[in-house]
Amino acid sequence: MDVISIIRPKVTGYDEEDSDVEMSDVEVNLDKDSGLKTDVVTPGELVTDDPIWMRGHGTYFLNEKTYSAVAGSILKVNRLLSVIPLRGRYQPETGDHIIGRIKEVGHKRWKVDIGGKQDAVLMLGSVNLPGGVLRRKSESDELQMRNFLKEGDLLNAEVQSLFQDGAASLHTRSLKYGKLRNGYFVKVPSSLIVRSKNHSHQLPGNISIILGVNGYIWISKNVSSNFDSTNSKTNKHEAKLVNHGKEYNPGQGTLSIPKLEESSWEIYSDKNDPDISESIRSTIARYVNCIKCLSHCEIGITEQRIVTAYEASMAYENAGSLIDVEVMENIGSDVINGEKMRGNG
Amino acid sequence: MEVYSPEGLRADGRRWNEVRNFKCHINTHQNSSDGSSYVEMGNTKVVCLVSGPMESPSSGRKPNSSSNLTVSISMPSFVSNSRKKFKKNDKRIQELCIFLVKTFEQIVIMKNYPRTIISISIVVLSQDGGLLPSCVNAITLALIDAGISMYDYVSSINVGLYDTTPLLDLNHLEENDLSFLTLGVVGKSEKISLLLLEDKLSLDNLEKLLAIGIVGCHRIRDIMDQEIRRHGNLRLSKITNK
Amino acid sequence: MILSPAERSYLYDSLSVQPPVRPDARSAHQFRPIEASCSFLPNSNGSSRVRLSDGGEAIVSVKTQVVLTKNESSLISIDVDINKERDDSNFIKNLISSLESILLKKFPIEKLKLTERYSFKVYIDCFILSHNSYPLGLLSLCIYLALKSTRLPLLTSTVNDREIEEQPTFNDDWEASKKLFEPSEHQDDPPLLFVVGIIGNNVFIDPSNEEEEVSENGLIVGFANGEIVPPVQSTNLSNRDSKGISPKHILKAYSMVRNCGKEVVKALNTVVSSDDDVFTSIY
Repeated sequence: MDVISIIRPKVTGYDEEDSDVEMSDVEVNLDKDSGLKTDVVTPGELVTDDPIWMRGHGTYFLNEKTYSAVAGSILKVNRLLSVIPLRGRYQPETGDHIIGRIKEVGHKRWKVDIGGKQDAVLMLGSVNLPGGVLRRKSESDELQMRNFLKEGDLLNAEVQSLFQDGAASLHTRSLKYGKLRNGYFVKVPSSLIVRSKNHSHQLPGNISIILGVNGYIWISKNVSSNFDSTNSKTNKHEAKLVNHGKEYNPGQGTLSIPKLEESSWEIYSDKNDPDISESIRSTIARYVNCIKCLSHCEIGITEQRIVTAYEASMAYENAGSLIDVEVMENIGSDVINGEKMRGNG
Repeated sequence: MEVYSPEGLRADGRRWNEVRNFKCHINTHQNSSDGSSYVEMGNTKVVCLVSGPMESPSSGRKPNSSSNLTVSISMPSFVSNSRKKFKKNDKRIQELCIFLVKTFEQIVIMKNYPRTIISISIVVLSQDGGLLPSCVNAITLALIDAGISMYDYVSSINVGLYDTTPLLDLNHLEENDLSFLTLGVVGKSEKISLLLLEDKLSLDNLEKLLAIGIVGCHRIRDIMDQEIRRHGNLRLSKITNK
Repeated sequence: MILSPAERSYLYDSLSVQPPVRPDARSAHQFRPIEASCSFLPNSNGSSRVRLSDGGEAIVSVKTQVVLTKNESSLISIDVDINKERDDSNFIKNLISSLESILLKKFPIEKLKLTERYSFKVYIDCFILSHNSYPLGLLSLCIYLALKSTRLPLLTSTVNDREIEEQPTFNDDWEASKKLFEPSEHQDDPPLLFVVGIIGNNVFIDPSNEEEEVSENGLIVGFANGEIVPPVQSTNLSNRDSKGISPKHILKAYSMVRNCGKEVVKALNTVVSSDDDVFTSIY
């Protein structure tokens, strides 16, 4: 019976007893084209005294020289030079597909926690409201904002633009964005999520996953196929009940386009799919543990790696044993070795 | 017990210019903070946790003039031998906090972090002299671990005076017996960003103390830098070859 | 912790099926993995640090003092401190009272008796660096390790001092010190407290933060020397309305704790014995 596993504190990378090497003895690795270091730079370290570079994030400029302000690696994009810190909070960029949690309902806007330095803003005008995409936002919408999204709600959205101070403004004006249901939320460091074209995937076992660029991940039952018309009708009624108590009639005055209206209210429902089987729940839990394995080993998280880790995890019949540190490291090295064998390591 | 023997040895066997065993790690608490560090200077052991930069809870209201960087120090009752309970508003601890805030406001590039707060929490596990230097060193490391932009390292150490001999990195007994000062130095420069002297000290000796103190700080900086690079290159190798 | 209604009902439903599907796939009787070390505080007789996988972490120090037995109302004193939290909060008071209710009653007090007139007084100082779930279980594991790693100086004066007016004297050599709990004698181990969450017909041990959020109820169960011991108390793990506990739950929790308890004690004892070389590194 596996009851508890206890590990001893361990600082990684101290296995080899060569940490006494003096800094001066270490060979400095330089990039061939630019003459810039490829190793880690640390705060206060001279990055370049060549004035042709423009200075980006993670650097500062003093007496015609560019210094690093963080510990990280040098990144150059054309003439722009920045230092990417090894760790740090999520830095939003326009177009990022992210997951956030509503923190505050304000005047015509929601404040959303996205794990960044600042909360993101979701304007009332940037969401689809019941009653059709093209409908104008009215005062009554303002008064019932909590019926759409309230504190604690999880949603996925896209970063629409950035404010002057770097805070993000979000939008959910697409059917793939909106409230999240039927699943479980996991958080990993945002540095482990690689920006790519597509961040929502279907996984084996009838599971959907959204890998938010900000490191927030949503794993859920794949329900997109279940939305036939009869089903959506019952869901609509449930949505109505949950959202408004008794009196309010959703989408008043927009009866001309009932189909759109129906699907619109659904997107703000708090009700999960009534039949999520135990096997789906167990599969989700196993995927969650696989993602935690990758995160523990600091391996970048992609759809392919999640699937590989999931397959590797099948060696452990009991998914509960995947939380042991030793097992997590085994899964991690399985993923890495698998990639090396396939030659894309 | 003699503080400094005629043969040139201190009570714990060190020479005048030797620092105690200095050990540091970063990223020790990745699940409970944005940046963390653990520093040991001899038997003084501290943990530092940094949260932020993050939305300040009082946003919406007008940003007040007080700092966006906060420091708190916790001294659990087992730290001292007498099990004295340190209140959170203990005057001495408050002083140290203010001192640390002033130092790090100058080192962190605060203009990069408008409308956000950085909250630093120090937990002292064991105190055997050199509390302030340990805090400074731990905060420097934890801020770097959190990926917060700063101009340079600040490293810190204390120096005491025995007769006319400066003694580097005092332990608790030596701190009780001698006049001493604590200094913090910016990076590899000789710029002093923090200086605290609470005892009487003749002016003629000051230069001597500062000189050896700066050398000691540079030594500490090198050890910290080494740890950051070791950790960083390890992390980097994981990112690039995967 | 805030959960959305959808998350909440997903968690609740997962934990109410038979057997419960816990969010990290643990079995009902499985603890979260912990990281632990002992004997790292140079100024304490015993010390320990325990960290949960969710980042929750506690440090416990055990210090002792020689006292005149007749002057003390209790030979054990427990203090809890939480990083960045007020000392006098109700949360801390509750933790202390739960810990006292088991330690003051179930601690093998005779071990502290030094001579006819003098005893050791044990000060257990707990510090919680951070916590997400209710930290009582964490603290209890940590206190167990700290007590098991506690060393006491060896008495050199006579035990029978009823007639003589002298204070006890000790051997200066720390090498000659004795363990408060000798590893050989497993009869009198320190007591432990376990937190059990309840949803529907299910009970599960060591609930995580989100499991507590959706729990209908909680139980705190004491365990010492292979048996369930008082206190057994119900507790509210979340701010939701309690739904009441049925005797069935209590019996389930009993048998679960009795079975797990032995395993936990075994695992903890391995940590203590591997940390016997004094003053290991903390991190």
